[in-house]
Amino acid sequence: MMRRWIFPILAGGLMAFGAYQATLLATPYALMQAALMKVGKQGPANQFAFAPMTTADNQTIVRPSPDLSYSTCVFDVSKGPVLVDVQPVPDHYWSVSIFDARTDVAAVRSDRDTKGKAARLALVKAGQTAPAGYEPVRVGYDRGLVLIRILVAPASTFPTIDAIRQKSTCKQV
Amino acid sequence: MKTWHRYVICVALGLIGGAAYAVQLVRGGLNDGLVSSGPWETGKSFGTVDASTLTRAKVALSGLLALPAQEAMYFTATRDSNGRALDGRCTYDVRGGTLDGRWWSVTLYEGEGWLVKNAAKRWSIPASAVAMDAQGRWSFTVSPDAQSGSWLPTGSVEAFDLTLRLYHPSADIIKSPETAQMPAIDRKGCA
Repeated sequence: MMRRWIFPILAGGLMAFGAYQATLLATPYALMQAALMKVGKQGPANQFAFAPMTTADNQTIVRPSPDLSYSTCVFDVSKGPVLVDVQPVPDHYWSVSIFDARTDVAAVRSDRDTKGKAARLALVKAGQTAPAGYEPVRVGYDRGLVLIRILVAPASTFPTIDAIRQKSTCKQV
Repeated sequence: MKTWHRYVICVALGLIGGAAYAVQLVRGGLNDGLVSSGPWETGKSFGTVDASTLTRAKVALSGLLALPAQEAMYFTATRDSNGRALDGRCTYDVRGGTLDGRWWSVTLYEGEGWLVKNAAKRWSIPASAVAMDAQGRWSFTVSPDAQSGSWLPTGSVEAFDLTLRLYHPSADIIKSPETAQMPAIDRKGCA
């Protein structure tokens, strides 16, 4: 009697392991996809959306910081490299980070790295080349997210910072 | 019962069980395989290709778009310094000293990481909002009720966590987060 169940149980165990691995592997892609859709609603692809400061009433991404201003660009390099120009904000922490479809960071550049100068990145996939003057950032997937964080402290500095960050651009070549 | 019935039953149970176990682990929060300093816990591989499949899935759920450690470290406390779960109906003193990094802030979250509605419209205490004494010591109060001095409202939620962001942490903290001198969280009383 028991012998008839041995192979079905072994098959079930294999399936359990496979389903476990597949679920873990798929989770970041699924959550990133959901985030890209949410953020994508704020504007078209390959263009920055300049979000207002985060409050309890306008949260789009989990674990937001109410001290940082967030600007986002859903990028898509399928039709060509995407150029990211980040306008520096003097005397404030700022950084630009590139996240791929698996939630990994392809690159981060902060004011510490650029020594206060503008960050100029070219998001490229295999076979594409960065134009002169741009630092190439190789991405493994066509789509992902560019995120600029700027420290807004005290809160009263937001209008000044907002005017500066609006000069940052994200555009397809 | 036919042979294929047994296979269908076992394969179905396996698929459901394996996926459910993965979901349960991912939802279990960023608690295992992490480094702790007092009640604060952090990971060394957020947002990097070194992250394990499980860590990546957990970060994607509760810390999507987190930065790697050389840029920012995220320390999260779900318990006070005595090991009791943080409760939004209680009042806590958070006391710390100089943190070895460029800038820090402490934010209060509920659930998977959402800001809590409160009348004061305050969700975090940045370094610039606390008064430091001559030794660099500072403190603020976490409470459902308005407090004198720096106050972080809990909105009276049942459970919350505190996340301390440390931007541009020192090389020592990146290497050994457990040696970071993190703030103490002391429960004063509960409503």
